[in-house]
Amino acid sequence: MKGTIKDLLNITGVQGYIIASGKNLQIKVPSRPNLSGIKERLMELYRELIEEDKRPGNTIEIYMDDAIITIFLSGTVMLMVVSHRTTNMALLRMTGKLVAANIMKER
Amino acid sequence: MSQEISGDLENTRCPEIIKILSLGKRTGRLALNYGEDGGSIFFQEGKIIHAKCGPIEGPKAIYEMAVWSAGTYRFFVDDVPDISTVDLSIDEIQAETENRIRQMDRISSLIPSAHVVFSLDPDIKEKEISLKSIQWRMLSKVDGTRTISDIAQGIGLTDSDAMKVFYTLLKMGVIKEVERSHGRKSKTALRLPDTPFIGELKNGLLGAIGPIAPFIIAETAKEMGFDLLADNVEQRAALIETIHSKITDETMAMNFLNAMTNWLRAEG
Repeated sequence: MKGTIKDLLNITGVQGYIIASGKNLQIKVPSRPNLSGIKERLMELYRELIEEDKRPGNTIEIYMDDAIITIFLSGTVMLMVVSHRTTNMALLRMTGKLVAANIMKER
Repeated sequence: MSQEISGDLENTRCPEIIKILSLGKRTGRLALNYGEDGGSIFFQEGKIIHAKCGPIEGPKAIYEMAVWSAGTYRFFVDDVPDISTVDLSIDEIQAETENRIRQMDRISSLIPSAHVVFSLDPDIKEKEISLKSIQWRMLSKVDGTRTISDIAQGIGLTDSDAMKVFYTLLKMGVIKEVERSHGRKSKTALRLPDTPFIGELKNGLLGAIGPIAPFIIAETAKEMGFDLLADNVEQRAALIETIHSKITDETMAMNFLNAMTNWLRAEG
């Protein structure tokens, strides 16, 4: 199954991503919105969301002034994608689900 | 050339048969049957001279039969009529039939057959609605029990013309579907528009959920108010995403999503 980070970054408007898995956090985001300085909070969010009984689904969208943060959860992997508000969100969700599932499969 | 020409309209649609008979300069009667309906197109040395479909005669009868996507056809050699009601070239007829088929494909994405029953929708969203007289005539007959076909007969319209009017009423949001008529044999198997996107969608979904795939596509498109002929990547992605969420087997769902994501990226 394909569905790589590269596919995700090829979607018009996608600005960066964060992958959290276990105790690891990989951040590749633009300077705005500023997310790189909040590692601890992101890990906290990850720990909260990764427990399935604490959330209703596997995809979360956070709408900000100048960006949308989409969070995909697959097993113990959390993929967070930062995109512009004009991004084709359906395509982003489709690709994001595949990428999150692939990362989970590889671990 | 005396070999028999007959077959299923599912495999060969009416315009293709007309083309074959025209190129072969055949003389005789092409009989078509579609559920309870039937009609004939008469050829004289490859030219259409007369057509009849129920009470309708002339070019309208040809256009009515041209959109049939199921049923049977048979050509009776040298069966010629006493009257002539069609005076159009084959090219003119072909152009109009193709146009009608495209229109009907669009309509079928929301209204699969003339046996659908509608009622008035009390939750009208528009503040003001203006209706053409034909729309009003149809709307005034909508009672939650009569099918489109019943209403069409009462007004003297063909089924396909009535479906066109109902399509516009449905788009306005003044009517809603009540139920499909079970009393009669359904005229058609569900027919989805024949486009590369729908083909890919259907193939991908057939592998995941089997033969109900076309119904799921039609149903989902209807729920979303999605025009299956629309050439819009965003809408297509939304439709794929929603259909994907209806596949219960996770592996199948991901395979479907993967195939369609790849297709969207390549073809858009």
